[in-house]
Amino acid sequence: MELSKPWQFVRDSFAVFVTSLFMFPMFWWALTSLKPISAIFDKDKVVWFDFTPTLINYAVTLLGRSRSQLAIDEGLGMGVAGTEAYDSRSSMLDSIVVSIGATTITMLVAILAAYALSRMQFRGRDAFLNWVLGQRFMPPIAIIFPLVITFKLAGLRDTDNYYLGWLSLMLIYSLMNLPIAVLLLKSFFDDVPKDVDEAAMIDGATRFQSFSKIVLPMVRGGIAAAAVLCFVFSWTEFLLSLFLTTDIRTVPVKIQTFVTSTGNEWGFITALGTAAVIPGFIFILLVQRHLVRGLTLGSLKE
Amino acid sequence: MGKTVTLAIANDDMHQPIWWRRILSSEHPLPWLLPASALMVVFGMYPLIAAIWSSLHRKNAATRREVFDPAYNWIKIFHEPRMWDALLHTLMYTGIAIVFQLVLGMLIALLLDSDRKGYGVMRAMMTLPLVIPPAVTAMMFLLMLNGSFGVIAKGLMALGLLPPGYTILGNYSTAMAGVLLAEIWQWTPFMVLIMLAGLRSLPKEPFEAAAIDGATPVQAFFKLTLPMMSKVIAIAVLIRGVDLLRAFDYIKVMTDSGPGTATETLTSYAGRIYFGNADFPLASTVALLTLFLVIVTSTVFMRIFKVKL
Repeated sequence: MELSKPWQFVRDSFAVFVTSLFMFPMFWWALTSLKPISAIFDKDKVVWFDFTPTLINYAVTLLGRSRSQLAIDEGLGMGVAGTEAYDSRSSMLDSIVVSIGATTITMLVAILAAYALSRMQFRGRDAFLNWVLGQRFMPPIAIIFPLVITFKLAGLRDTDNYYLGWLSLMLIYSLMNLPIAVLLLKSFFDDVPKDVDEAAMIDGATRFQSFSKIVLPMVRGGIAAAAVLCFVFSWTEFLLSLFLTTDIRTVPVKIQTFVTSTGNEWGFITALGTAAVIPGFIFILLVQRHLVRGLTLGSLKE
Repeated sequence: MGKTVTLAIANDDMHQPIWWRRILSSEHPLPWLLPASALMVVFGMYPLIAAIWSSLHRKNAATRREVFDPAYNWIKIFHEPRMWDALLHTLMYTGIAIVFQLVLGMLIALLLDSDRKGYGVMRAMMTLPLVIPPAVTAMMFLLMLNGSFGVIAKGLMALGLLPPGYTILGNYSTAMAGVLLAEIWQWTPFMVLIMLAGLRSLPKEPFEAAAIDGATPVQAFFKLTLPMMSKVIAIAVLIRGVDLLRAFDYIKVMTDSGPGTATETLTSYAGRIYFGNADFPLASTVALLTLFLVIVTSTVFMRIFKVKL
């Protein structure tokens, strides 16, 4: 619809205003991470830009530097003791390992299932699809208590063995991601005509060869989109990790520990939060094209 | 597909044993579905059955033993006013959030649906909140809503909308609104994205015809856009609703169900029982109630609006 010039200007300004409104919390968050403590906790006024930016919060959370030492070096006066609690390097590692592992497992499992659901006709196909979809409707809270108890009894918790803890989180995240991955990939496989497989198999390729060498390369875009969504959902997951692991703290769980009885360490919280958000931003911009399809489990195509 | 390619592949594998070739060329779906099934049985079906089994036990607070007593928790929970409160909060939370997200999402989608320069960038920017961990978003709003230095709280106080020093999340009457603000901020972009996809897929001709017939844009929206988007809207509401009914992250981080039980939902109630008195059977019972709520609501919704995922 064509708008007259003044109205177009009004619309443009309003669009910019609304977008800025939605960008503001993230901007404020990143800004706070650069503030020294005095600027964060100013009770008299909200400090916008009149502060000296500092990277101290990043140095402590991401590089594991000692806060009190940094405070002395920068002439900010004494900080509080206790440095390890804010060193988040191992949490970053936990999050990265678990997210990548979960994404890999999900994709391996989901690609096979999605191909069969797209290509083969068999009894119980719809039932299987519904079973997969059902996992999307399952509240994580309904399965987490028995899992915690079972892991405890079987000696498979992260406190028993750190690597098993990684593995169990990966597997649970894989279950959580399974419906979105299977249904999204199925919708991409459905886009490839069945003639492609048939032609390959008439020429002597086995079912598996037709899948791996012919069809799989044709859905690369879909696989990338599904993998990115799995990664993002694993990266942002909170409830399962909170209940299941003790020593392993993924970033969303770790950040909660900065809320202390003597006050919240907003500088560290915002610094780690900002760092935790950046991988997601990069990935989401890479798969913009398939985002709607992914978020609606393949039922809406753009 | 080129014939030479596939023939070359086939010849390549001729040296493999026959039984292996038979598996690879099998048309049976089992090998393909087995890994997914294993995952769903071990991490989905087993714990669900275990939760049901656990809910049939009574935890003796003194001996800390769990005794088989099938009806105990299920009768107890329905006589527990706190559960009814939690259920009410869950429905309130879901209802308010879905209405705001849907209406705001639609309005913003209409606003940003333009091919003019810069709109593409704004649409991409609107997707960014979707990838922030909800637990981090919750912290963001915790900071901004802080009564003594939070930018939103201070802003509202400067406008005279809040008394000085008022803590939004610490007060019984406003805590839910504070949590909902974070929820709505993060997930309105989800609706925007889906509504935009719906708007962009609409055919142009009916709108042109309506414009010739003298329909106003508002009439066109209600008579054409909304009916044609009904399936898209229903799918978006279904997906969002399922997530909202099991809301946990924002509540756990921002208020931990408080003050008192002002923001307690079914999921956070179950979590509190688990962390609090370690009564697994009762916690499982509440968790299963969440599951029933999701199943019943989504089934009814899918029947009424005739949508399928």
